[in-house]
Amino acid sequence: MIHDYLVLSVILFCLGVVGVFARRNFFTVFMSVELMLNASNLAFIAFARLQQNMDGHVLALLIMAVAAAEAALALAVVILLHKQTGKLDTNVFSLLKG
Amino acid sequence: MLVDLLFTCFAVFSVLGALGLIIFRHPMNGAMSFLVTLVSLAGLYALLSAKLLFALQLIVYAGAIMSLVVFVIMFLNIQPDQLPAEKTKVTYLVAGGVAVTPVAFFLLKVINRLPNMPVSFADEGFGGVKEVGLIFFREWLVPFEIVSILLLTALVGAVVLAGKREKNK
Repeated sequence: MIHDYLVLSVILFCLGVVGVFARRNFFTVFMSVELMLNASNLAFIAFARLQQNMDGHVLALLIMAVAAAEAALALAVVILLHKQTGKLDTNVFSLLKG
Repeated sequence: MLVDLLFTCFAVFSVLGALGLIIFRHPMNGAMSFLVTLVSLAGLYALLSAKLLFALQLIVYAGAIMSLVVFVIMFLNIQPDQLPAEKTKVTYLVAGGVAVTPVAFFLLKVINRLPNMPVSFADEGFGGVKEVGLIFFREWLVPFEIVSILLLTALVGAVVLAGKREKNK
């Protein structure tokens, strides 16, 4: 049933939120954000199947492109911060304050 | 039924992978665990007859994005003592779980109001490259162009940021 897919996407999204909330390791937080994006992708595709309409697939494609851009930029910033401080703590990002 | 069995397998694996991601201490273990989630999500897309998305999830997400993340994790050569201590991790995990529970219940209630239908394989031509491409380039042309500009900007920004040479050293 389609509802199972939607429930799974809610579960994955909540796990991503908990990951962002509870962890301080930069990479884990980053991948939790990706997990939330993937959960929304699953919801989009399930709705597309429900409506017999492929707009949801296009939106999922766009989300993948945004995730790729996010990964490239975020990892560049992390490499710089790691060079500067040698730490992987998200608290280090307070250095980015102007 | 085979579809239900496959759905159960993929769902269990994806939730286990996500749990591993938020529980493992070292980011490399987390990345490998997240990879399990991504691959099982690709399987779920295939069950939903999204053929193009199934291939792209494997190629772009599990292949390109995650290999970029794993590459950076290995490139930084993270030692266990560089990781943040996270002494309060369990407390925060439980607290986060408690905090998102109402939201999850609300979303589940919303889902229950939606129409439901059994998942079977869709008719020929649902979610294939040609059909999705036609919709993409006809009705979603402007978002496509905006995303291309976004990707270009991100590429230039990443090169400028990470490739900075230190001049005065």
